[in-house]
Amino acid sequence: MPSKPPLLRVRGLRRRFGDVDVVADFNLDVRAGKAVALTGRNGSGKSTVLRCITGADRPTAGTVELDGVKVDERSPKIRRDLAVVMDDMDFFPDLSVVEHLDLFAQAHRVEDVEAVVDAVLQEVGLVPQSAQLPGTLSSGQRRRLALASAFVRPRRLLVLDEPEQRLDRAGLDWLAERLSAEKAAGLGVLLASHDQTLVDAVVDNVVNLG
Amino acid sequence: MSGATEVRELRGQIRNWRRGRAELSLAEAIGDAYIAVFATIMLGSMGISVILNLRNASGALCTTQTCSTARDVMPWLFAGVEVAVCLGVARLFGPMLVSPAIGTWLLSAPVDRSALLLPRLAGTGTAAFVVGGALAAVGGTLAGFSAGTIAAFAVSTAAVCLCTVTLTTVVQARGGPAAKIATWLVAGLVWAAVVALVLQMLPAPAAQQRFSPAWLAALVVTAVLAVGSVVRAVADLPRIHRDRLAPGGSLVPSLSGALATLDLALIYDILVSRRWLARSTVRPHRGGPKGAAALVWRDLIRLRRSPQTVVVPAAAIVVPYLGARLGIGEGLVLLIGLTGFLAGLGLCSALRVLSRTPGLMRCLPLERWEVRAATLAVPAVVLLVWGLATAPAVHEAIVGTTWGTACWVAAALGVAALTAVTRWMTAAPPDYLKPLVSSPMGAVPTSLFGSLARGFDVLLLLCAPLLLASPANGAFISLVLSGAVLTFLLHRP
Repeated sequence: MPSKPPLLRVRGLRRRFGDVDVVADFNLDVRAGKAVALTGRNGSGKSTVLRCITGADRPTAGTVELDGVKVDERSPKIRRDLAVVMDDMDFFPDLSVVEHLDLFAQAHRVEDVEAVVDAVLQEVGLVPQSAQLPGTLSSGQRRRLALASAFVRPRRLLVLDEPEQRLDRAGLDWLAERLSAEKAAGLGVLLASHDQTLVDAVVDNVVNLG
Repeated sequence: MSGATEVRELRGQIRNWRRGRAELSLAEAIGDAYIAVFATIMLGSMGISVILNLRNASGALCTTQTCSTARDVMPWLFAGVEVAVCLGVARLFGPMLVSPAIGTWLLSAPVDRSALLLPRLAGTGTAAFVVGGALAAVGGTLAGFSAGTIAAFAVSTAAVCLCTVTLTTVVQARGGPAAKIATWLVAGLVWAAVVALVLQMLPAPAAQQRFSPAWLAALVVTAVLAVGSVVRAVADLPRIHRDRLAPGGSLVPSLSGALATLDLALIYDILVSRRWLARSTVRPHRGGPKGAAALVWRDLIRLRRSPQTVVVPAAAIVVPYLGARLGIGEGLVLLIGLTGFLAGLGLCSALRVLSRTPGLMRCLPLERWEVRAATLAVPAVVLLVWGLATAPAVHEAIVGTTWGTACWVAAALGVAALTAVTRWMTAAPPDYLKPLVSSPMGAVPTSLFGSLARGFDVLLLLCAPLLLASPANGAFISLVLSGAVLTFLLHRP
């Protein structure tokens, strides 16, 4: 029986800045229900790969396909399937924490918005901050809000750039548990990380970029 | 050794370090100063010449009753606007502030805080006094005041501006909403005066052009108030908390950076973000429609949460009516467009945030144009209604316009203002990765200077048909052009 095609397929990815190839001839498969981690030193190209995959940056060469369809970040279908948390995430200065999550869930036409949002708020530990505006949150709380924004909406592939950043120990434990649950639910997970504990707890395949 | 001496020594030490790193020789510094003084004198002379010519011209051209009254009350409006702006700027920056470095190194040291802040108070107060006085003198000159009256009016206004800075400093030290209330009160009084002027309910101040004992009394009273408020502010300087000095200090470099790139939208972002940061929490509103309508719903919540975004356009409606009463004719078209554009900027914060934050846009499963259209829905309704509300002014100002045509022109101007706001909000910042051109300021991206014209360029394009063609045809062409520009702006990357 032929094996199921990967959820995410990257072939021959290359990103050149001036005379420097930050990423060259990069191939990657992420299957549904599996987690892949990109590791490596600072500047090895982890974030660049994620940016090219999610359409935040345009690769010099190569193809990126999600479920057999070329990834075009302008497509609503791709945005529906791809939940991305990277460092370019910012928030509306005049909407509270809970209103942000409500907005994302409503935009994705989630059935029971309040129940889903309340559950995720509880999970990320932001219930006491639900009426706060994002500018007043600590960096760790902002990170939790960014991660929560990915969990209140439908998704097929989670792309996370160093999700462990600014999280405390309890937050890291929660994240590992949550990502394992995502895998168990049949979602693909692709993350760049420097945290070996998180990688060990969640990841099925590690790609070291140097 | 006293605290003041310690601070003097620390400041002297810092000055000594800076002098050690000076890049200019004394001769070069004198050369630069000569050019600065020469340029100031030359430009100042040109400015004074223009003002005096305007004074003569305004006397000859003012033919309507409203125009004559407006000319008479203009100095008072000038003074009111100056005081409101002075209060607003003083509140925005503190007015007392310290740079992040001073905040870290000197505010935490056991030194006398008043000695540290006194030069800042002196500088800010002097700036308010000089600028306030100069602008008041311009207003008095244009209104045809005599030389003595201009001097008395300018010094009195300058003293009031100085009072606003010093009293805001006192409020900064003691806390409380007094400065905020005063700002809205003064702005409200100016607005009420303009409304009274438009409704021709404002009598011209009697015999204000000549110097009289009343002017002398005003001069003495404002001078006494200014001295008293300065003494009070100096006494309160040591009471100002560090947390009230630092925000202004961090705001200055942010605004300087935005100004260096001529990115006015970035200044908007900084000010909006600062305003909401001060508020910290809100009463959350849950529920609402799904899909793109969720964004429209949030904009409605914003209106309720921040009513001034509607109050400002509503208050600004008086400007076109003033223009019509002053008899500016077809110049009203530009005035309406410009007023709508500036008053409508506060309505589009969601569009701005989504335009500058790709990460947030990625979270929404909608086409880019759908997102932008949804965030424009509420501003579009407000600006269209605002435009239509100017129809009577258009009818009055443009000779031979029927009511139907006036409504079309007014609607076209509302849509033009919306399009200009959209252009301003969705424009990308200057791209330093693209080829740079050499300039006296150094290498700059080609899009840098164009960024200043953002919004205004579209406004001019959309107003041009109304100025060049007949009102009915012009309104039609302007609406078609607005549709084309909006379509482009909604779909641009």
